[in-house]
Amino acid sequence: MADSVFVIRQRRGILGALTSRKWWEHAFLRIATYIILINVCFVFLFPVIYMFSTSLKTVADLADLTVLWIPRTFFWRNYELAISGMLYWQAARNSIIISVGSAVLQTVACSFVAYGFARIPFPGRDVLFMLVLFTFLVPPQTIIVPLFILYRNLGFMDTYFPFLIPALFGHGLRGALFILVFRQFFRNLPYELEDAARIDGAGPFSVYWRIMLPLAAPAIIVVFLFSLVWHWNDFFEPTIYLFDQNNFTLPLRLSILSAALLQMLAGQGAGDEFNEAVIMAASFLTVSPPLIVYLFTQRYFVESVDRTGLVE
Amino acid sequence: MQFEDNFTWVILLTGLAFVVPACILSIRVILSAVGVHLTYRFQRAMDGYFYISTWIVGFLIFLAWPLFQSLYVSFHNVKITSSELKLTFIGWENYAEPFLEDIHFLPLFTKTVANLLTDLPIILVFSLFVSILVVQDLPGRGVFRMLLFMPVVIGSAIVIRRLFGEGVSTEAIGVSVQTLSEVVFTYLQGTIADWVLDLVNRVTLVLWRTGVQILIFVAGLHSVPITMREAAKTDGASGWQIFWRITLPMLSPVILVNVVYTIVDSFTDNFNQVLTYIQTVGLTRDFRLGYAAALGWMYFASIFIIMGIAIVISSRFVFYAGER
Repeated sequence: MADSVFVIRQRRGILGALTSRKWWEHAFLRIATYIILINVCFVFLFPVIYMFSTSLKTVADLADLTVLWIPRTFFWRNYELAISGMLYWQAARNSIIISVGSAVLQTVACSFVAYGFARIPFPGRDVLFMLVLFTFLVPPQTIIVPLFILYRNLGFMDTYFPFLIPALFGHGLRGALFILVFRQFFRNLPYELEDAARIDGAGPFSVYWRIMLPLAAPAIIVVFLFSLVWHWNDFFEPTIYLFDQNNFTLPLRLSILSAALLQMLAGQGAGDEFNEAVIMAASFLTVSPPLIVYLFTQRYFVESVDRTGLVE
Repeated sequence: MQFEDNFTWVILLTGLAFVVPACILSIRVILSAVGVHLTYRFQRAMDGYFYISTWIVGFLIFLAWPLFQSLYVSFHNVKITSSELKLTFIGWENYAEPFLEDIHFLPLFTKTVANLLTDLPIILVFSLFVSILVVQDLPGRGVFRMLLFMPVVIGSAIVIRRLFGEGVSTEAIGVSVQTLSEVVFTYLQGTIADWVLDLVNRVTLVLWRTGVQILIFVAGLHSVPITMREAAKTDGASGWQIFWRITLPMLSPVILVNVVYTIVDSFTDNFNQVLTYIQTVGLTRDFRLGYAAALGWMYFASIFIIMGIAIVISSRFVFYAGER
């Protein structure tokens, strides 16, 4: 598209370009595309903007209909309240351990399993891969009770292990999807690499660890980020496995924030300070760590998506 | 966090993840050391099982066994006493209850399926449309692509629910619900009006769920060979024709992937009312574990059937370029 506009302009000069029907068509399409995309992005960005703008409002600003986006004063006390009400640093530490730990384990385990499915022919492979896809369909609620009993018998209640141990086996939150992504990626790599390594005497593990895994960097980035974000935002499983409030993750803390704040502020006789803005501040604080990670990695991420051959 | 009583189990389970593949590897080493002749095929098969054995063990512990147990429990009436669970066999009663007694489950279930049927086309068309726009060679497309994936990053169920409660989702598309409902109720009849309003209320929420689908479509659009489009262009095809005759057929496997993903995503979503209901029945309000297990199994079976139907229908339209 860019080329044709450029070519026409070169041939006839600016004046010629402006009178050409084709140029107008291109310009019109381009502008329409931008308008649509900006609108879509606005809808997608809206929650973040809304959260941030509301989180800085005072009670007066909240009630004032003329204050739409930019509050009269930036009221940072909402954030202080949110941080103390959520016990932010403790909850963030729990969230980080669960999500980073599970993401690392899942990435390694799923790539390992997927390599077997993608590259090595063995009897029953297709049937077993159907089983992998089958696990993707099972809603967590169907098996939650037996799992709960299992973990309780093992003494895993109120620990991070119900999240970490399944991840180690390539299961856990949407493990099947990650196996699928890695499998699609590995399938597109040339076989000569492995053959050469095997001829040079590499065993099955070192073929994977020293040849295939380093090549899988794009897939690793995609899977790691997805796993991290999904574990961070996971709400269902933490509610089942974590009872002690000291072990709560950020989304759990957010869900009990209103009660916690009322209790905290009741003693100080300052109950009216707690309002929607504080909740929004807490929400913003909850989503911002993965958001920051995403902002820093998005360049590699977007590139990786093009190269994983996610779909073939 | 306490370590005393669970430490052994952690070590054992972690060990299991490594010991099982190591065993398979050592079988091969031992066999060849004793002097047994191993065929190439046998060696490769052992390699294959070496890689996936961890997953199989995990499948048995974390999926197959729990699934079997919940199936077993679903045929029983569970009484929770202080020390143990007491099971009494009651046959198919738990499975009959949603049809005969429970007035909540079936409406919730049909509503979930109906929502899926309306959401699925919206999600697919919208994400395809946006991804076609964004794969063009626009200046600044990187920024757009980055922003389009945002909902997945902030898609925390609890945060979204908070915002949804605030009416933010309708605000985002600039439709005020009050004016809209007036218009809708003036021109449409009751049931349809309800349906339209419900859809408008959800539409932003639905759009927020398209991040992954856009991603998959973008990746898919990149794999459509540019030579084909150029050949068509040379033969005088218009952009419209190229889309319908080349891009869409080449993209059809990707569309199938997206259909499957969307169905799974909406059925296992934390927002899902059926799942919330099962959780309420089983774990928080009634503690009727047997009934919850039966509901869970019926739900799971219906996902399976719906998925099967979707795959059978759409696979008739899927075109694989590699096949001749």
